Amino acid sequence: MSTTDLPTMTSGPGVFFDGRSSMRHDVHVRLEPSGLQVTDDAGRVLADWPYDEIDELNAPAHVLRLGRRNDPVLARLEVFDAPFAHEIDLLARHVDRTGAIHRRQRHAVIGWTIVATVALIAVSYWGVPAIADRLAPVVPLGVERRMGDAVNMQVRNQLDTHNAGAGFECGNGANETAGRAALDKVVKRLESAASLRLPLRSTVIRRPEANALALPGGQIYIFRGLIEKADNADEVAGVIAHEIGHVANRDGTKGVLQGAGLSFLFGMLLGDFVGGGAVVLAARTVLQSSYSREAESAADRYAAELMKKTQGDTRALATMLDKIGGATEPGMKILLDHPETKARIAAINRIAANGPTVPFLSPAEWAALKRICAG
Amino acid sequence: MTVEASQTASATGVRFLGARKAYWRLLSRGAVLLMVTLGIYRFWLTTDVRRFLWANTEIAGESLEYNGTPVELLIGFLAAVAILIPVYAAFFLAALDLGTLGELSGLLGIALLGLAGQYAIFRARRYRLTRTVFRGLRFHQEGSAWLYAVRAVLWWTLTALTAGLAYPFQRASLERYKMRHTYYGDLAGRFAGAGWRLFLRGLPLWLLVMAPLALAIGTFAEVVDWQALADALSAESDDVMARIEQGNPGFAAVIVFAVLMAGTSVLLAVLLFPAYRAIAMRWWLSGLRFGGIEVYSRLSMLRVYGAFLRFVGLALLFSLALVIASGPALFVVGLLTGGGETSLAAEIAAAAVLLGGYVTAALGFSTLYRATVGYALWQLSMESLQVSGLTALDNVAAKGQPSSALGEGLADALHVSGY
Repeated sequence: MSTTDLPTMTSGPGVFFDGRSSMRHDVHVRLEPSGLQVTDDAGRVLADWPYDEIDELNAPAHVLRLGRRNDPVLARLEVFDAPFAHEIDLLARHVDRTGAIHRRQRHAVIGWTIVATVALIAVSYWGVPAIADRLAPVVPLGVERRMGDAVNMQVRNQLDTHNAGAGFECGNGANETAGRAALDKVVKRLESAASLRLPLRSTVIRRPEANALALPGGQIYIFRGLIEKADNADEVAGVIAHEIGHVANRDGTKGVLQGAGLSFLFGMLLGDFVGGGAVVLAARTVLQSSYSREAESAADRYAAELMKKTQGDTRALATMLDKIGGATEPGMKILLDHPETKARIAAINRIAANGPTVPFLSPAEWAALKRICAG
Repeated sequence: MTVEASQTASATGVRFLGARKAYWRLLSRGAVLLMVTLGIYRFWLTTDVRRFLWANTEIAGESLEYNGTPVELLIGFLAAVAILIPVYAAFFLAALDLGTLGELSGLLGIALLGLAGQYAIFRARRYRLTRTVFRGLRFHQEGSAWLYAVRAVLWWTLTALTAGLAYPFQRASLERYKMRHTYYGDLAGRFAGAGWRLFLRGLPLWLLVMAPLALAIGTFAEVVDWQALADALSAESDDVMARIEQGNPGFAAVIVFAVLMAGTSVLLAVLLFPAYRAIAMRWWLSGLRFGGIEVYSRLSMLRVYGAFLRFVGLALLFSLALVIASGPALFVVGLLTGGGETSLAAEIAAAAVLLGGYVTAALGFSTLYRATVGYALWQLSMESLQVSGLTALDNVAAKGQPSSALGEGLADALHVSGY
């Protein structure tokens, strides 16, 4: 260091607390070559801090508050004189009156958070469904059944409206047994070709909507409205084949796993600020819709292949979808949990074979199935 | 000695040195960074806010020092996540179970989370105290966080059962527990506020808010023929309202009256909220004791109302700005989604615009609130204080160790964090 670089002020006044008692000491601070020396009026040395071990601490703007780095004793030196504080700033490298260290840390936080966000989105878009796909097949059958029972209870509570006089399930009445037999025939033909790892339980329920549901554990619900809307047994068979696709692909289990994965990624790690809840909810909804669209397309493909394998009319599923879905869906595409009907119909018809088909039921059996909810 | 040193030495009592502008800058930059970093910046913002408030609060000529760091908070949060994930997973699995355990798991979960929230509040307070340094000595807090949590949950239950009437006694009891275990060095704290004082001050407010509600409920009980109403609801037919009207001729009028009264209640609650804040704050501050040091607050209710009015005014201006800005934003959304066939990418972009608008609005209002009401309550509280017995400050000895930020992390993960 040349002489011109030497500090212009080498000593000044300060206030010192020794960190052992709250007693206040008015002190004299000297800037020695090796460090900063604090002496009281009687000339006793209260502190001798090397410049490299000095930390700047939280204080109001007009005060430079110093302490010794990593010292469990919280001794504090306060300097009020601005030019003298500047001299100390120049000598001690951890003293950061301009805020450069803070700024650098802030930039690192912003940069890494953006990287983390990109990683998070990538993982939730590709990673979560991939992990669910790998995990779902190794979930033991017992667990899948129990999960199915739990979901089944919720679904029944939601769907069973109790206001009709007849029971919730069709096919139990004396005049419904023929319909039940017809349904069993359809399911059996599909099931034997599908070779699933667990037996199916299919039930027609008294609901007016044209819909069907598959739960984890092999339970399939066919809504009465669907049978009423169908013109032949192959159309019903097509929809059941689609639901068998969900069972075979274990989409129920995958859905549970995906939901848990997303909750973990978004709910815990991110979003704890005002308005963040909406971001999390929106991201989850859009992602889950996108997973669901994938699952529906896969189930459609599965149904088409299964219908082809059983020599049923593959196109019947497309016809049925056309009847249910109508021409256009209202609302935003990213929120739809099914792909657009037109695209689905086209995809199914691409798989359909042109050979001869064997109808699933005779006209008499089909008539019986139509009356499965007659009781 | 120098001029500066002798000036600060002669100063007594409490002063607030903060500049409002600096606080505004800190908060608004923080809000933008919160949005950019999806909330991760909150650890840095919280630390910045505390550093600002602590450093600018001066007691007997010496300002407070906050020496917590954002990284500590981040680690505390990650530790809390590590603890909570298995707990959440256990509840998730228990809910799948079909037995009584599955049915009870929801209730049990809520009770456990309530307990954990209170535990976190106590532990977070310990962290903040041990990161507060004054005259070279740190504050610290002893006492069991679980004991506090159990007390707090029991008190909250009682408060809920009494429609809030037990609240002053709850505050007093919990503050006594907290302050009894609070130390500045070896100087023990205590809380001298009496629950019944807050009760008497708050009772008029409680009556004003509750009276319209009570009136509505009373009229309901008086006018409605419950038997007829039950019959009307249980009978199977579509036109429930018509049958209710048949059994209870005045039913519609009673409903209108009840809604009006409930509205009056809510309106009064909003209008009286600043008064409640002022009363509770003054009571709390006046009860704080450290050894021979006593505190008395003359917090002005009028000035607290002033702070809330400032917030309302600025919030209205901000809403106006939002409305003006939402024009172009909605136009962009319309361009992206309008006109028959739209691509998935356009929809995602439109959704992002809408979501961005929502987040901007939510963060904007919360920032305005913190910068006006939050700031003013701190400033007015500090400036309202009269402190006696400050000579006790000359001979306090160091005691206590820094604690981990786990409590802060839990409070963050459970959404119960404060300053």
